[in-house]
Amino acid sequence: MTTTSPTAQPKPARRKAGQVPWLDWMVVPTLAVLALVVGYPIVYTFFLSAQDYNLLEIVPAQYVGLENYKDLLSDRIFWQSLTNTAVYTFGSVGVASLIGLVMALLMENLGGAWFRPIRALLITPWAVPFVVVAFLFRYMYAQNGGVINAVLISLGIIGEPVSWLNESSLAMPSVMVANIWSMAPFFFLLLSAALSGIPIEVIESARVDRTRTWSMIYHIKLPYLRNPLLIGSLLMVISSFNDFAKIWAMTQGGPGYSTSTLVVYVYRVAFENFEFGYASALGVVWLGLLLVFAIAYMRALRTE
Amino acid sequence: MFHSNRLRCWPGLLASMVAVLAMTATEADAQGEKITLTFANWASAEGATRPGIEKVIADFEAEHPNIQINSEAISFSEIARQLVLRVRSGNPPDVAQIAGNDTILLAATRGLEPFGPYLDADLKSRLKPDALNGLEVGGELIAFPWNQAPAGLWYNKKIMEAAGLDSAKPPATIDELMAAMEAVKKSQPDVIPLGVDTTNRAFSMSSNWPWMRTFGAKPVGENATGANSKEMKAYLAWMREISKKGYIDPGRKIGEFRPLAAQGKVAFLWDQVLVQGVIQSTNSMSDEEFYKEWGVAVLPTGPSGQSYSFEGGHQLIMFADSEHKEAAWAFVEYLATSPEAITNYTVSYNASLPPLAEVPDDELRAELDTPIFNAFKEAIIPTLSPQPYGPKFAAAATAVMAGVQQAVTGDRPIDEIATSIQEQLDRR
Repeated sequence: MTTTSPTAQPKPARRKAGQVPWLDWMVVPTLAVLALVVGYPIVYTFFLSAQDYNLLEIVPAQYVGLENYKDLLSDRIFWQSLTNTAVYTFGSVGVASLIGLVMALLMENLGGAWFRPIRALLITPWAVPFVVVAFLFRYMYAQNGGVINAVLISLGIIGEPVSWLNESSLAMPSVMVANIWSMAPFFFLLLSAALSGIPIEVIESARVDRTRTWSMIYHIKLPYLRNPLLIGSLLMVISSFNDFAKIWAMTQGGPGYSTSTLVVYVYRVAFENFEFGYASALGVVWLGLLLVFAIAYMRALRTE
Repeated sequence: MFHSNRLRCWPGLLASMVAVLAMTATEADAQGEKITLTFANWASAEGATRPGIEKVIADFEAEHPNIQINSEAISFSEIARQLVLRVRSGNPPDVAQIAGNDTILLAATRGLEPFGPYLDADLKSRLKPDALNGLEVGGELIAFPWNQAPAGLWYNKKIMEAAGLDSAKPPATIDELMAAMEAVKKSQPDVIPLGVDTTNRAFSMSSNWPWMRTFGAKPVGENATGANSKEMKAYLAWMREISKKGYIDPGRKIGEFRPLAAQGKVAFLWDQVLVQGVIQSTNSMSDEEFYKEWGVAVLPTGPSGQSYSFEGGHQLIMFADSEHKEAAWAFVEYLATSPEAITNYTVSYNASLPPLAEVPDDELRAELDTPIFNAFKEAIIPTLSPQPYGPKFAAAATAVMAGVQQAVTGDRPIDEIATSIQEQLDRR
């Protein structure tokens, strides 16, 4: 019986695959589907953004060039919504990633049957749908009968119920707390996995060198967590940037415009005022900003 | 062997089925046996009204065996959006329930079938004189009134008495209302003195419109004072004052006050006639108990010296693209004017008034002869104030209500808020 070693006998079919021209055409269906479901809406949004197009008006859409973009520059609500989006997105992602990191570091060495359910519990908020999170917090924040006011009053921290979602200055932090609550477990999960992937030899060597806990975290573990943190942050930045359900269900962008983010503003312009041309211009700006973040993150990853 | 035989049978079987189906369809079309109407509405989306509308639809189908109603449940806040998109994409239902600015919004799409050719003189003469007010666009009647549901100031007599107030004398002026709310707040701190909708949506603007008007303010529309007027500033300053004093609970939709009112936690409630039905279905109060505890009056007058109300009633619309307009009209007429539909839905489940001047049924007439319905008919309906509905109303409402929210929840100077609202209105 003769045996052949896998290293001695290369796989000719696989090696040749890249050289067969017709195989390149196999990507065409995928490209066609992508062009249809991703490319077409984007191109059409660009097209609409240069039109004066109101769904309620019987007159056909008119080409207005960059007029909608010019209007954006002087639209105070747009700028406020953009600022709110930045505060909501970066504030939530920053705090959630920090909480997730602390949770992952604290739970890192806690194994065994007792801690498994605790880990599962810690991850639960991430699995709760956005709309449910929004209503959960809305009822918890309620001025009359809300559990948060009840607890704070019983602890003597506040004297009378606070209108968390209906005070212009408190609404945004209150909505962000709900977002952080639902997002932190994602970072915990991601960073726990990354921590368990750090080679044991590296940790052992640091211990042999009597590295202190803080130094171990800062100099040994954090560098290993950099990429997962970057990727996780990018995903959560995109998710928060596009977060409509939580804000709409909790405040509808109010009071006033204090929690109005870009997505809420686009919704109001498109589906309450039916100004599709202007809403498309807002959408193009929104898409551009997300692309800038994505490219910046990818570059940061590549430098690694 | 068996497998191959079965496979060989399939094409023949399939062809026979297709042939039978085609023949059946052709036959049904030819005989015009069954027409299916699509009815988009929120009555079947809400638990409180679903049994009523289902019964009325079943009764209609029994009376018209050739018409089948396909009821599409869409929430109140979503229906206008969905209908506009469906009209523009050429896929509207046959009939829809609609209300307030949304009716005029839909008319702007030019996708509605005017009711003029269907409404005969006899039926027109049986309607209340004001029933068709505000439903004409460009000289065409674009909606048919299903029910009337104006708003009044509901007052809880027990709470008033506990606050040392005379429950037979509801506040008639803003000053009297302020004094009454102060007394309620002092005597019963867990009671919300005034339930008023301060959310940011078109309905909320409609609901707050009478309050603005009684202060002499008219932010938009014909002969508008504008938002940057002393009248509007007086209204905003008053809203801030009642919020700071804890007399209102900002941010709640009007519907969120209703369960609280049913629990006796709201002293005064600015709400529509249908609130009686909601309260009674929530706390199972009998009619007698309800009339003993609740009364309704006109809006207290402000600096203008006049009371106003808004019409929150529901209308029915038909779509121009409908292939069965006669059947659709039969359904609309049945829903709005038949004694069965008025009894089984309009009065019993929707707790609102029919559009007919006189109902043709003694039993129904007796049902409508209540202290609440009479107060609405005699005192409140005459104070109805038209609103500047149209395609721009929603955008104006967003600007105005955002300003109202800023006034009731923040410390930004009223002058700045008024200027900011006006800037937004000018942009539109």
